[in-house]
Amino acid sequence: MRHSSALWVVLGWVGFALLPWFSSAATQLSVNPPGAGLAGSALIDGLANGRWWLLPLLAPLVAGVGAVALPRHHSLHPWLLLVGGAAGLLWTVVQGFAIGLNGWNWPGLAALFGPLPQGQGAFGLGAALTMTAFLFQTTGGFAGLGCMKGDRFTAGAIGLVLLSIALFVFLPVGFVLSSAGDSGAGGFSPLALWTRLTAPDIWRLNCLYENRSCGVVWNSVFLATMTGLLTTLLGLAFALVAVRTGFRAKGLLRMLTVLPIITPPFVISLAVILLFGRTGTVTLALADWFGIPPSRWIYGLPGVLLTQTLAFTPIAFLVMIGVVQGIGPSLEEAAQTLRASLWVTFRTVTWPMMRPGVANAFLIGFIESLADFGNPLILGGNYDVLSTKIYFAVVGAQNDPGRAAALGIILLGLCLGAFWLQRRWLGTKSYATVSGKGDNGVPPALPTGVRVAAFATALPWAVFTFILYGMVLFGGFTENWGRNNSLTLRHYRNAFDLTWGEHGLIWAGRAWDSLFTTIQVAGLSAPLTAAVGLMTAYLLVRQRFAGQSAFEFFTMLSFAIPGTVIGVSYILAFNQPPVELTGTMAILILCIVFRNMPVSIRAGVAAMSQIDRSLDESSLTLGAGNLQTIRRVILPLLRPAIVASLVYSFVRAITSISAVIFLVSPEHELATAYIVGRVEQGDFGLAIAYSSALIVLMGAVIALIQLVVGERRIGRRTTDRLALQEKPV
Amino acid sequence: MSIATNASGVEFRNVTRRYGQAVAVNDVSFSIRAGDLVTLLGPSGCGKTTTLRMIAGLEMASSGTILIGGKDVTRLPATDRNVTMVFQSYALFPHMTVAENVAYGLVVGGMRKTDAAEKAAAGLDLVGLSGYGQRLPSELSGGQQQRVAVARALVLEPEVLLFDEPLSNLDAKLRRKMRDDIRDLQQTLGLTSVYVTHDQEEALAVSDRIIVMNRSVIAQIGSPTDLYRRPRDRFVADFIGGANLIEAELIGRGDGVAAVRVGHAVLPVPDADVAADLPLGGVLLAVRPNAIRLRAEVGTGNGVPVTVRKATYLGSHMEYGLTSALGDLFAIDTNVVNPVPAGTTVTARFADDGVMVVPR
Amino acid sequence: MSGVVTGWTGRFGAGLVALVALAASPASAQERLTVLCGVQEEWCKAIAVAFEKKSGIPVAMSRKSAGEALAQLRAEAANPKTDVWWGGPGDPHLQAAEEGLTQPQDSQYAKDLQPWALSQHRQSKGRSVGIYAGALGFVYNVEMLAKRKIEPPKCWADLLRPEFKDEVQIANPNASGTAYTALATLVQIFGEDGAFEYLKKLNDNVNQYTKSGSAPASAVSRGETLVGVIFTHDGINQKVNGFPVDVSTPCEGTGYEIGSVSIIKGTRKLDAAKAFYEFALSPEGQATGAQAKQFQVPSNKKAPTPPEAPNFEDIRFIDYNFQKYGTAEERKRLLSRWDSEIKSAGK
Repeated sequence: MRHSSALWVVLGWVGFALLPWFSSAATQLSVNPPGAGLAGSALIDGLANGRWWLLPLLAPLVAGVGAVALPRHHSLHPWLLLVGGAAGLLWTVVQGFAIGLNGWNWPGLAALFGPLPQGQGAFGLGAALTMTAFLFQTTGGFAGLGCMKGDRFTAGAIGLVLLSIALFVFLPVGFVLSSAGDSGAGGFSPLALWTRLTAPDIWRLNCLYENRSCGVVWNSVFLATMTGLLTTLLGLAFALVAVRTGFRAKGLLRMLTVLPIITPPFVISLAVILLFGRTGTVTLALADWFGIPPSRWIYGLPGVLLTQTLAFTPIAFLVMIGVVQGIGPSLEEAAQTLRASLWVTFRTVTWPMMRPGVANAFLIGFIESLADFGNPLILGGNYDVLSTKIYFAVVGAQNDPGRAAALGIILLGLCLGAFWLQRRWLGTKSYATVSGKGDNGVPPALPTGVRVAAFATALPWAVFTFILYGMVLFGGFTENWGRNNSLTLRHYRNAFDLTWGEHGLIWAGRAWDSLFTTIQVAGLSAPLTAAVGLMTAYLLVRQRFAGQSAFEFFTMLSFAIPGTVIGVSYILAFNQPPVELTGTMAILILCIVFRNMPVSIRAGVAAMSQIDRSLDESSLTLGAGNLQTIRRVILPLLRPAIVASLVYSFVRAITSISAVIFLVSPEHELATAYIVGRVEQGDFGLAIAYSSALIVLMGAVIALIQLVVGERRIGRRTTDRLALQEKPV
Repeated sequence: MSIATNASGVEFRNVTRRYGQAVAVNDVSFSIRAGDLVTLLGPSGCGKTTTLRMIAGLEMASSGTILIGGKDVTRLPATDRNVTMVFQSYALFPHMTVAENVAYGLVVGGMRKTDAAEKAAAGLDLVGLSGYGQRLPSELSGGQQQRVAVARALVLEPEVLLFDEPLSNLDAKLRRKMRDDIRDLQQTLGLTSVYVTHDQEEALAVSDRIIVMNRSVIAQIGSPTDLYRRPRDRFVADFIGGANLIEAELIGRGDGVAAVRVGHAVLPVPDADVAADLPLGGVLLAVRPNAIRLRAEVGTGNGVPVTVRKATYLGSHMEYGLTSALGDLFAIDTNVVNPVPAGTTVTARFADDGVMVVPR
Repeated sequence: MSGVVTGWTGRFGAGLVALVALAASPASAQERLTVLCGVQEEWCKAIAVAFEKKSGIPVAMSRKSAGEALAQLRAEAANPKTDVWWGGPGDPHLQAAEEGLTQPQDSQYAKDLQPWALSQHRQSKGRSVGIYAGALGFVYNVEMLAKRKIEPPKCWADLLRPEFKDEVQIANPNASGTAYTALATLVQIFGEDGAFEYLKKLNDNVNQYTKSGSAPASAVSRGETLVGVIFTHDGINQKVNGFPVDVSTPCEGTGYEIGSVSIIKGTRKLDAAKAFYEFALSPEGQATGAQAKQFQVPSNKKAPTPPEAPNFEDIRFIDYNFQKYGTAEERKRLLSRWDSEIKSAGK
């Protein structure tokens, strides 16, 4: 146990005395630039270059050495680690934020201590290493005092996750939200905040009594409620069809659930325009056959509602299918033996037990709709919603980040309010019926009315979805979709051309650059997202610590904040010392990781709660540490959750647009940003060809991930599901 | 390769475990000799499982000291204690074969794969499962899974082997066999074992000593005979073996006999079985169900007249529910040939053996 | 046991350090000139290649709409990562100049430049200069107008004709610089109250206030609407792409945008940035537009004007007051008035 404290103490010294403290990639100082390599270490720079504020770090570093030098089990050992580590961490952070490129960052400090002759750059390798070392010393100290059952790994993991979330979620969000009260002169004014939050164009209700538009909040809430209701209804219908009827083509249903997730933004909207726009295929056909005059009904609420329902129904289906499957058939059988008819059974037993699932599906639809940006952008017409308003408050002609921040606060409030309502409605009732006991019942058939309704809702919708995607794929091969439908490979050649030059293969297509960057970013961020998410899930499910529910709440925060706000906040927070990341690929990856982390956490929490805790405990009593337990016992059992997080984060990294559009740098252009450019230009052919290629690519990657991670032991594990549920009741 | 023994003693000194305001284990002290099988017995929520988990290191004591083999392990996490545990749910890793499960602790402890496999095979042999190594846990019956869990805990040659209600998922017949097997194995290898159960019969059957817990504290520690013959309070008297608790008065002790008045009658009880510090006055008479003898004649001798409320035929014996001036009584009689029919009034007499005195 | 744990902790730590190293790794942008590009992507690529060939300085080009570019420059203000902002309407360039995000620069080509390009230079106090111009105008769907036997619009007043009921698209000036230029143009032609009177009437004919300035052009080309108000080169672009559209400019006079270039204040590659600035104003650099099928009018008189470009001789330009309508207050005032009087009136 002492080895690892000693290791971190040594690493802390290495970071302080041997490695360059400041980042060489970031902005360089004009006054006394730190030297390269060893000469740029905090120790030497602090002594030789007059950056005296780095030298107090020596005290906590010495305290660390003192702790390690003490005899084993000395009662001072953990205290020294804890106090030293915490003080070191605190000092590093405070001096980093207080002293910027040109000296004091806050005028108040300059007035207090007198001006500084020089400033300092952004944290580099040395600073990062030393801070990490301080962090693990602190958590090691906590563990030594008996917190976390004395487990250093758990304490360290909690510390690491907390620090990363503070750095990559709280810090940027704090930056952007604090600008909601920006008085215009750089200060904070509660009055400005209040004015922005209560602006009449946000809240007015004119549409109720005159022919004027309502405030954007009401628009958003109405749209989100409708989307939530529709997706829940459709998801329920699909789930009932899939689980409770003899429907055969379940593979098709599965595909249906995957398709919208791997669809780049805008694609569904485009397809909908080309079908239902005023000159769309369907519209023209209706005009020819039935004389219905073409109109623009698709622009505005109907169009956005349609596309959002298309996009989010599969998610509702995934939630509902779990719930429908989880209802123990024996409960329904019990109802039937009590003389309840099929319909009465459904109404009194099946339906009430599905209620939490319905609430969850609705909540997800509601929040996804609030945060959706691509569909309202293309199809919104004159129907304004919060997410697009925020975007245009930042990039539009008004250029008012304060207003964007205020709208962001309102959007966040709506999401949290929805969470709160759901919690209140469901209370602490648990309807889970998946217990350790095998359930030998056979689910009863659905009452005829419900079955007909389910089929009548689900099947036409499924057909509609497939037609839409068929058209998208087809559109990539047409000369000019809608006008000239002759077949061509032109768009694909344009995007993905390969030629042989003198020096070998030339990637001549226009899409290659952005495609390679996209794959690189997605490939790096997916495993990181899965790792951070599952680690957090492990802490939430398997460990108990103070403030756990607050911690859980905060991890969900970045999910509720619209991407545009996150993107701007990342630039604001990470463009200057102490953390300078703009223009690097790291900022893209970090943004994607922390934005997608909540989903990974949810997948991990769900899967981990199903694994009996005694499995980990038995591993611990058999002498394996927490890390080994995770590696040898939990991870292998979590394969489905790992697959889910990997797939989701990979796909999201490819399809996300709103957050990263501010972060892409010339070096690191992403596929979606490129596609949006093509759509703006009206070059639908290339956009659709590129999108189709991405859909195919993501499909292939999903298959590959499942092959590599998911199914290695499948031959011998087919009966294992039961063993997993061997939980005593 | 054989399985050796590292049996060590366990000692709790004033150990308390709190969860926020709630106290799960309150100021508990005991010591367990090396090589003994000690049972923690008590009703649900009495703190027995928490105590066991504190020995394992899965829970940390809020205060007090825990020693294993004389070393202070209070702050040591589970990983670093040489203690293994057999779980109620077996907790076999479903993604590993039986052999991999048994070798797990050895492998993570750094033993070479081949040595670990060899030792695992020895362990499986010990529990009578050689040849099952390549199966998956899900392919075994409940009893076999239980044996695998025992083998897995044994091969690490722990200082203490813990059992957390290991038999509760088995049917009655298998439970008896497993219980004997575990006891045999423990005695053959000379293991220190701590065994948690809420089944008093199981506890009486396997234990060298029993620690009875109730409401977060230790009610009594002793050998099975001690607890059965000389319970220290009404809880232990009732919990171990069951007892009819009758209001009585201790009226005198001397000459190896304590006199107890019940109703109008005075019963002599061996003074050695009555706690020495018990003062004269109101006490409870604890009468084992099998110490109540029913006689057909009414009103003679110093018996108590009782009415049979209910008579249940159980094959090997009869169970009677009785109504009397002393309250409702519960009796067991091995006479199944001529049972007393319900509704009749008979005389109940208390046998010399099976009558105890406990404080009120 | 602890040995194993240490091993793992070690690897864990190594992973962390690797991540930090990745984060801090010198981006190759360090050696490259970073340019935000405000025109179509084809042109961005073309000028980057041409400049690289000429100067040997590699260019990293990122296409950003004017609003995105300005938002990014603002966010980066404390520590700029961008060297040059090239292309996009002159208006946000003026805003950037007003906010001190860009720095003054004089060019050797000044004598060859069109007067409007120099006017941009003057109004921005030397911090920005015009590289191309595009006129505000109408785009209409030739096929559909013919089918309905409607005359193409030639004047602002034509847009109020009843045939165009629900057939006009223009961007939302709160979102798009194009539409703000239109708003400011109308105010300068009709006076402020007259302009809002006009816009109120126009509101009945508008079916949608789009979010992007060039969106009406692609809507018209697909027949989603009959007429759009756009910068004419966006319409010409659709025409060249084979759609049945044509453009016209209003008879009452029209405004224009001056596509501009600015050097970012605090750039770390000032010399390279200056070289790019000069190249962007040279005939050679300006010729890249036509090569990339972009049909704005170049600002250097010696640069060849593409034949498809609107002939500025035939267009009646107003004397657009960039100084007045480029300031933040005026902009904010006009936009809020538009928001409360036009936008909230039932659309």
